[in-house]
Amino acid sequence: MELIDLSDNVGKEAIFRDFLDQICDRFELDHAAYAGVNPVSGTIHGFVNYPDSWKLHYTQMGFDRFDPTLHKAGRSIAPVDWRRLSQDDNYHRVFRDAADFGISEVGLTIPVRGPFGDIGMLSVTRNCKLTEWDLLTKGIMSELQSVAVHIHDTVMRSDSLSKVLRQPNLSRREREVLQWIAAGKSQYDIGDILSISHRTVEVHLRSGREKLYALTTAQAVARAIALGLIYPL
Amino acid sequence: MIIVIDALNKQDFPAILDDMFRLRARVFGDRLGWEVEIKNGQEKDKFDALDPAYVIGLDDDGHVVSCVRALQTTGPHMLSDVFSSILHGEPPLRSATVWESTRFCVDTQRLGRGTAPNSVSYATCELMIGSLEYARRSGIKDIVTVIDPVMDRVLKRSDNAPYGYVGKTTPMGKVPAMAALLDCSQERIDRVRNFAGIQGEVFADEARLRETQRVRFDAAKMPASSIRDNLFEYLREQFHAAGSDEERNAVERLAAQLHASAALTTSSPVMDNRIH
Repeated sequence: MELIDLSDNVGKEAIFRDFLDQICDRFELDHAAYAGVNPVSGTIHGFVNYPDSWKLHYTQMGFDRFDPTLHKAGRSIAPVDWRRLSQDDNYHRVFRDAADFGISEVGLTIPVRGPFGDIGMLSVTRNCKLTEWDLLTKGIMSELQSVAVHIHDTVMRSDSLSKVLRQPNLSRREREVLQWIAAGKSQYDIGDILSISHRTVEVHLRSGREKLYALTTAQAVARAIALGLIYPL
Repeated sequence: MIIVIDALNKQDFPAILDDMFRLRARVFGDRLGWEVEIKNGQEKDKFDALDPAYVIGLDDDGHVVSCVRALQTTGPHMLSDVFSSILHGEPPLRSATVWESTRFCVDTQRLGRGTAPNSVSYATCELMIGSLEYARRSGIKDIVTVIDPVMDRVLKRSDNAPYGYVGKTTPMGKVPAMAALLDCSQERIDRVRNFAGIQGEVFADEARLRETQRVRFDAAKMPASSIRDNLFEYLREQFHAAGSDEERNAVERLAAQLHASAALTTSSPVMDNRIH
C-alpha cells in the first residue's frame, strides 16, 4: 500500500493520525507517535495512535514533562533505539507504567531537524523480541527516516507563515534532473547527458523530490511543473 | 577503535572531546590555514553547538587520532551556511537520507607512515568505516563531505573514491575545499575494509571505554588532591603551634582560601579538611 501524500491535506489532524496508522501497517509496527516544535509559530504538535487509555494515563501522570524519548532523542542526529535511553531514571518511570497498558519498550525515535530550528520526532514501537526488532528496523530505517521528515515538514508547513518560508528551494542541478525525468529519460541516460554518475543523478533527484514534499518522482515532476520550476513537455 | 559521541553520551567522554577539538585546531587552524576560531587551543564553531555527532578514532593508547563531524542536511549545516561558496550560491542538497560530514581529519603528527595500525592510512580507513557504518545503521544512504584535495586523493587511493561532487573546488585558506559524495553502501564499506585489512568490529565497547575514561580522570586528579591534603596537614600543625590569636586568624584565613580553591577544582568532599 502506498502512503497517502500528506502535503495536500495540511492542518487536518485526523489525516495525520491516519498517516501514523499507515506507517504501522506498512512497516509492521504496533504504534507510532509524532511530536514537533515549530518555533516560527510557537506551537507544539503531537499526534499518536496509542490506545486512548494510555494517552489519558500518560497525560495525567505528566510523563510528557520528562519522557526521555521526547526530551533526549531529539538531541541525537541518528535514530535513537530506546535501549540507549534505558540508563535514564525517567525512562523506567514511563515504561514501568507503559507495560501495564500493553505498550512495549521495544522501540525507537527518529529525530528530525528542520531549517528554522524546528525539531520533530517520530517514535515507533512493536511488541516483539529484540532479535526480531533488530532485523525489522535494519530493513526499514531509510524509509522511516523519509516518512519522519515528510510528516515533520508537512506539520511545520501547516501555518501560513511557515508555508511561505518553506517554499521549495531547488538547485539548478535538481531542476535539470527533474526536467530530464519529465522528458522521459532514465537516471542512467541523465547521467550520460549531464556527464555525472548515475548515483549523483539519484541523490539530486531524491533531494529535489523531498524539497517538493513529494513521496514519488511523479508527484515531484507534477509539482515542479505547477510551481514553474520546470517546463511541461 | 572508533567511538561515536553525541549529545546523549558526551558527558561520559569530556577528555576525548577536548582532545578532538585540539586536533581540529592543529589541522584546520595551523596546517590548512582555514579561517577557524581557536580558543584555548581548541577549534570550535557554531555548528558544534547544534548537537552534532562526532565519529572519533582512538589509537591503541587511547589518544584521539582522527575525527569527523556529522549533521543532518534537513536542518542547519555547513553547506547551507559558511561553505555556501562551494555551491556558488545554489541551495544545498536536503534529504532525510543524506548527512553532511565536515572537519574530517587525522593526526599526521602522531601517526606513522605505511599501512600498519597507528598509521595515517589505517586511521583514515578506520574512521571512514566507522562513519559509513554509523550512517548506514541510521538509514542514511549518502554522505556529502567537505574535504580538501589531499583528503580527496587519500580517499581515491584507499579504494574509497567519491562517486561525484557538488559545486566547485573553492579556495578556503591555504588549500581549496570541495564537497564530495559517498554512498553508505555495504560494497563501499567492504572495499575500504579490504584495502585496509580491517575485518572485525571497529567500534569501541562504549561501557568499557567509559570506565577507562573515568579511571583516567580520577588518576589525573590524584596529585593535586594529595598536595592539598599535605597543605591542610601543614596548616593544622601551624594552627596548633600558633602563639597568638593573630597568628591563629592568619592560618584560618589561609585555610579558608585553600578550602575555597579546592571546592572549585574538585568534586570530592573537602569538608573534613577543616584545620581544627
